[in-house]
Amino acid sequence: MIRIVTLSEFPPDVVDFVSRRLHAAYGMGSELEGEGEIPSSALDDEQSAYDAVKALEEMDDDVALYADDKILYLTSEPLTAPEGPMGRGPVDGYAQYGAGKAIATSHGLADKGVPLEVGLAKRAAHYVGHLWDLHHCYDPRCAMHPGWSPGFAAYPEVALCLFCREKSERKIKLGST
Amino acid sequence: MATKTQDPVIGDGSLHVGDRVVYPNQGICRITGVEIKQIAGQNWEVVTLSREEDGATVMVPKAKVMGIGLRKVADVAAIDRVFDELANPNTDPQLDWKVRHRENADRMTGGGLFGTVEVLKGLHALSRVRPLPPKERELYDNARHLLVGEIAAAMNIPLHVAEDNLDYALWPPEGMTRKGRPLPPATLGPPSPARASGLDDDLGFEDDELGGAAEAAPAAAPAAAEDAEDADEEEEKPAPAPAAKKAAPEKEKPKPAHRPQAGSAKKAKPSHAPARKAAPARPAAKKPAAKHTARKAAPAKRPAAKVKGKAKGKR
Repeated sequence: MIRIVTLSEFPPDVVDFVSRRLHAAYGMGSELEGEGEIPSSALDDEQSAYDAVKALEEMDDDVALYADDKILYLTSEPLTAPEGPMGRGPVDGYAQYGAGKAIATSHGLADKGVPLEVGLAKRAAHYVGHLWDLHHCYDPRCAMHPGWSPGFAAYPEVALCLFCREKSERKIKLGST
Repeated sequence: MATKTQDPVIGDGSLHVGDRVVYPNQGICRITGVEIKQIAGQNWEVVTLSREEDGATVMVPKAKVMGIGLRKVADVAAIDRVFDELANPNTDPQLDWKVRHRENADRMTGGGLFGTVEVLKGLHALSRVRPLPPKERELYDNARHLLVGEIAAAMNIPLHVAEDNLDYALWPPEGMTRKGRPLPPATLGPPSPARASGLDDDLGFEDDELGGAAEAAPAAAPAAAEDAEDADEEEEKPAPAPAAKKAAPEKEKPKPAHRPQAGSAKKAKPSHAPARKAAPARPAAKKPAAKHTARKAAPAKRPAAKVKGKAKGKR
């Protein structure tokens, strides 16, 4: 089950759309679990964005999780991530690979010209995919394609390519045992 | 029966118990000890490793530790060179599938960091020209998985940050630079194989869109890839029926600019159902006809072999 927790206000139809798309992409139940807040301690040094890694680690929630449950946090706040070898790049979410928590933001979707619900659902599917160890995909139509690539806006469908879908199905089957 | 030895010398002496190492094709492991195991009546000194990803235990005969390519996790300087290499855009993909397969297999079994980078970069470059066949797609994913794991371990950063950084080099976003040099921003790649070869149902596209995709397909495949074609025809299996497809009846329309997806679940079913039933007969009916028009003197054996290949792929 994918449990969605909203950290900002989203119209109910947007959350509903995201939930349906996740269900269609992974064939798994998906439901709105409730609302929460990003811990203020996760604000970065410039106080302009939230450190996604810290936010997930320090999130205080009462969501009951079972064996193969995943939590997806949705926010509209800007996110950042620790600097890597390539410096800082665009961050629209973060996922603990192969673990249980992911966060996706709707921040910056308007600049890309993608409708809120579609963009958020695509990002949600992307980060939930990382929770099942899916890597980035070169197919621009796949939800696992990097979100900063032009493919994100050019192919607004929320779907996985054949390879990613089969891999996620294998992982989900393994997880449920 | 197993006994543990204290402070053993492993390999050329550079490895110690507790070290994080890279096992070729397996990923990051930690050396947990050296044990003497009795196997088939003989005493074998084996190095035991624990794979960090899932905790699986790997045992390697001590004498073979260096031979299999076990090595320490790369240092930060090596990772820096990896990113220099990844950010360097001039890579010509190897188009001869036999050479490519041999080279990539050698690099992966060798277990070297730069070998893995070359595999990833080569396949990435190829994927920009034409879609990868399933086996190479898997290899691409494996190489990516190993590289992401090693970057994360070497730099002590989360896996997700490691993968994002790797792709900042492969698919540079706007304004990305590497050591002060601006990187050309990523462009949209060629259309995916799924649409061109009739495997549209994996992304839920409707049949009526195939016309345009089929037209676009020849443009995506370069003329230079003739050698690879035969091999890929054998390698590429037809898509199995999507399991997730049955899920979620979708009522709402997502309103995409040029490709409405809504209703695909409803509409696709009737259109795909007969196609699936007729699937075994399709290659037999279609392929020889295509061959016949293309090459009149083609031997009679050839279409039969194609049909066989396709049927094999279906299983």
